[in-house]
Amino acid sequence: MMSLKKKLDRMKPHLKQQHADKPVQGTDALPHMDLWKSNDTDLFVSGDQYCLIREVHFPLDYKHGHYKLEAFKHAVEAWNNVNFNHSLSAKGFAAEDLFFFDTETTGLSGTGTSIFLLGYARVDKDKIIVKQHILTDPANEVALYLSFLENVDYEMLVTFNGKSFDWPQVKSRHTLIRKHVPKLPETGHFDLYHASKRLWKSSLNSLKLKSIEEKKLGFERKDDIPGYLAPAIYFDFVERKHPEGMLKVLEHNEKDILSLITLYTHISFQLLGTDESQNSKEKLETGKWFKKEGVSNLSEKYLTDSYEMDQNPSAAFHLAFEHKKQHQYPQAITLWEISLEKGLPKEQRESAIEIAKLYEHHLKDFKNAYLFAMQAIKALDTEDLKNERKQKILGQIKHRLNRISRKMSGNNPK
Amino acid sequence: MRKKTLSEIAENFKNNKEISDQIIKWHTIEPKEAVYAPLPSSVHPDLIKALERRGIGQLYAHQAEAYEAVMKGESITAVTPTASGKTLCYNLPVIQQIMNDHHSRALYIFPTKALAQDQKTELNELLELAEASINSYTYDGDTPAGIRQKVRKAGHIVITNPDMLHSAILPHHTKWVSLFENLKYVVIDELHIYRGVFGSHVANVMKRLKRICKFYGSDPIFICTSATIANPKELAEKLTGNRMQLIDRNGAPSAKKHFVFYNPPIVNHQMNIRRSATLEVRRIAGILLKEKIQTIVFARSRVRVEIILTYLQELVKNELGPKSIRGYRGGYLPTQRREIEKGLRTGDVYGVVSTNALELGVDIGQLQACVMTGYPGTIASAWQQAGRAGRRQGEALIIMVASSSPLDQFVIQHPDYFLEASPETARINPENIIIMLDHLKCAVFELPFERDELFGDIDPVDLLEYLTEERVLHFSSDRWHWMNDAFPAHNISLRSASQENVVIIDQSQTAAHKVLGEMDRFSAMTLLHDEAIYLHQGVQYQVEFLDWEEKKAFVREVEVDYYTDANLAVQLSVLEEDKSAETESAIASYGDVSVRAMATIFKKIKFDTHENIGSGPIDLPEAELHTSAAWFSLKEELHDMTDERIEQGLIGAAHALKAIVPVYVMCDPQDIQITPQVKAVHNQLPTIFVYDRYPGGIGLSEKVYESGSNLIDEAAMLVSGCRCENGCPSCVGTEISFTGGKKDAYALLKLFSEAMERKHDES
Repeated sequence: MMSLKKKLDRMKPHLKQQHADKPVQGTDALPHMDLWKSNDTDLFVSGDQYCLIREVHFPLDYKHGHYKLEAFKHAVEAWNNVNFNHSLSAKGFAAEDLFFFDTETTGLSGTGTSIFLLGYARVDKDKIIVKQHILTDPANEVALYLSFLENVDYEMLVTFNGKSFDWPQVKSRHTLIRKHVPKLPETGHFDLYHASKRLWKSSLNSLKLKSIEEKKLGFERKDDIPGYLAPAIYFDFVERKHPEGMLKVLEHNEKDILSLITLYTHISFQLLGTDESQNSKEKLETGKWFKKEGVSNLSEKYLTDSYEMDQNPSAAFHLAFEHKKQHQYPQAITLWEISLEKGLPKEQRESAIEIAKLYEHHLKDFKNAYLFAMQAIKALDTEDLKNERKQKILGQIKHRLNRISRKMSGNNPK
Repeated sequence: MRKKTLSEIAENFKNNKEISDQIIKWHTIEPKEAVYAPLPSSVHPDLIKALERRGIGQLYAHQAEAYEAVMKGESITAVTPTASGKTLCYNLPVIQQIMNDHHSRALYIFPTKALAQDQKTELNELLELAEASINSYTYDGDTPAGIRQKVRKAGHIVITNPDMLHSAILPHHTKWVSLFENLKYVVIDELHIYRGVFGSHVANVMKRLKRICKFYGSDPIFICTSATIANPKELAEKLTGNRMQLIDRNGAPSAKKHFVFYNPPIVNHQMNIRRSATLEVRRIAGILLKEKIQTIVFARSRVRVEIILTYLQELVKNELGPKSIRGYRGGYLPTQRREIEKGLRTGDVYGVVSTNALELGVDIGQLQACVMTGYPGTIASAWQQAGRAGRRQGEALIIMVASSSPLDQFVIQHPDYFLEASPETARINPENIIIMLDHLKCAVFELPFERDELFGDIDPVDLLEYLTEERVLHFSSDRWHWMNDAFPAHNISLRSASQENVVIIDQSQTAAHKVLGEMDRFSAMTLLHDEAIYLHQGVQYQVEFLDWEEKKAFVREVEVDYYTDANLAVQLSVLEEDKSAETESAIASYGDVSVRAMATIFKKIKFDTHENIGSGPIDLPEAELHTSAAWFSLKEELHDMTDERIEQGLIGAAHALKAIVPVYVMCDPQDIQITPQVKAVHNQLPTIFVYDRYPGGIGLSEKVYESGSNLIDEAAMLVSGCRCENGCPSCVGTEISFTGGKKDAYALLKLFSEAMERKHDES
């Protein structure tokens, strides 16, 4: 039999080629420590493993985008002074309890993707401390997590998409070395990606952090390396151990973390009603969000504000449900008539159905009930739905129409 | 009028000259009594109760044997014919274990999603009867995201398929900690399916699984069940890396069976063309159904199933009503199957027409008669289909109706070969370097690889170093770490060997294009070129456009009465000769070859008659394949044969080999390629090459070499036994223009066979 090596050479044309520029060499000592040190970074050693930790301080009057960092402290105070609940509320927390967290990884999810940078910020009295733990070599993961877990003592994690990406990935890598490191703490988690999606999904084309920074936070990045290059820069660092590329990644990650602080501040002000520049769409989405949170007085307030600001038909659509709940049927019908005329196609159809329901069940006006149900069919026609779904809805409307006609002719079996 | 009984009909067949003349052999298998064993005393009382509620008061001997062995901590492979109660071989020990220790977990692996669903239903019925709080879930592409977490954390029994294990479970093993920490059993059902490329992949997936188990401190016992193949123990051991106890003394009873070999009459003597098997099946199944004999009819393609179904429904609609005969295709939902099953039990359904989908473990109950439209391709699947007929009481009738294909004709004319031959050997080659390299990547992605760690029993250091050079891995502190931003499992399909696969896209529905599957590039040249007819699970598709650059083939469903056959201009060079044997006149060898191939033209060949009804060019670049091959060369000049005669003889011999090789090595005919060359590059001699169609080889041609003279003798017998005058599609093919071609092909095969015999003398 041929040796594996020989076979391998023969099979090479069948194997996907990766670029083979430089040989990989293991190294024990970390070169360029002077350069690291001049960039606020020092060695953390545990047994025969080590990692790097960079620590930078920002004064509270440091401005990142529209806000100074101290605005975050104001937001936490404000949450503590209101008496309604919200899933993003910092009520009961001190500013020091929040932990703004972001990672850089070698790829997408999966056990083999490692985290090479764990970065976070937190308030410490009169300053913000940003710390970044850097994996110098894949074999040194235990040191990375030991150093990280020594430092984490917090109540609430704040991330951007950390619920489905960063934190599960941390858990996954932690599982691999769980016999050598302490447990991960159990904490709360504010995921600002999901919050941003609620507020701006309908108004922003992209919900990437970079777009939100530009469009909502007043922060523009200069000379920033794109995030997708981070894995390649890290692989190069592992081979050559030269810090230059990594310093860029650290800067990128630091900006991500500072933006988390500004973003949490901004979203809090949206929800607390203290953002003067809040537009009608944001008020609408805030109102819808409060409805989900079960805070109906605030939901109604924001929907009303949105509607009064520019007669936003979507606001009328959602506001009408509040009136219906309070048995104010004529007001509800008036608002639904607005969204039936100007709302989104789906809102038009649902408005017509809601009006038909009110006429049929509460006002016993079967003729109008019939007319509006017919309008629902018209609205359904303009909707962009899969045919199967359309047919199903159509069936339901026809069922309604049949019942209404029976009632009209007095043949109601009841 | 009184309906005839099965034995009366059998008698009729023997006496009706029109039928009996076509019967090549009538083979009777005597009935077998059940061998029972008492329920072992260790079985949990709740489980005993559940079994009793199902009417099971004792076990078949093999079920008890399986239970005892597993309880002793041994991995087992149970060989279980159709309807022998194989599921209890694993469900019994697994449920028992979980009842005793609620932390225990089991992983069930089925080759398809449909089978997994089917088993879940059956398992849950048993669990309900036992009133056990044991969770069993399927985990596959259809599992809703909402319950995935629950399956991972709380599933006692997780039922999945190898593809899902490979691409979703193992790469995310940290989400499955409670499964891997407590994994007691891995069940591999339908073991015999894991052969060839697929099996070679799955063997590597098992190595990865065992690595992960070891990391979490578990060492599961493997329970495999298999249809009858020649080497179940060897296959299971190769696939799982565990030593296996073989359990093959089947205790299930079987009825008296008549196995009838039926060859349709010849309608064109010169061309040796026989009456269509489909029409003959219609006639025979019609006779059975009219007498209300519950009958299952097997056909090889979905189109065939539809045709036969329509025929039969028409034939009996006055006597039985159209609903009494049902079609059965792959992809039926469990509820639809239950309906057919129920119909069979209550007597509302008399006939089922099925594709080979039914072979795969799905249980629809036993029928009285089975009619096969053509030989199903392997001895094992023929027996599985035959197993569908035969109740505990009474008799069963199995009729195999041959088509004109060379393979069918070989089998039908040598029924003793079929009845006596040991079933096929299932081959896998987990060490195929391309397959292994792929899975090694996945393995390192899943866990860093230690310097001295073995991958199964292979030391993969050369491969790991190669991957390090390629900057996929990074070596540091005595371990290899994954150092790439890709997710390796996504680029690796278990159902094919080459990485650069052509994706097959069905655009029959404009709004809903869907991916049917993948094919390696080398095979795609001849099977997915523009206008090719591509068969997928028995359905015909026509390739509308092959985008070679983008590796996509766009197909549309069609129904045509022909298939396509592409010509491949092949140049072969021998890279290394590993084994060899010779006589004065011939040499047989085995080793590594390089195949350079270019598809040139394709022909449209009509089903049944094999007429050439059209052709077209193929415009694709040359491809190169390194693989293993067996080759046979004629050593000395055959003075009485001209070059032309040698060439034609080789073509004829190759045609006959093409029919025989898949039978011997148990593979899909497309897995192996046979190419005659008048002057082989390496020795300038007339040579026939038999090579594996996958890069690196999967052990098929090695088996051809090892089978020695037997295999070639069978090919020679196929030629000499054929009743045609100068060659026909059933023996040496129709490409031979020379009158003596058939004789020459026979003579050449005999020379090769003698050389192969020498191999045995030497060894």
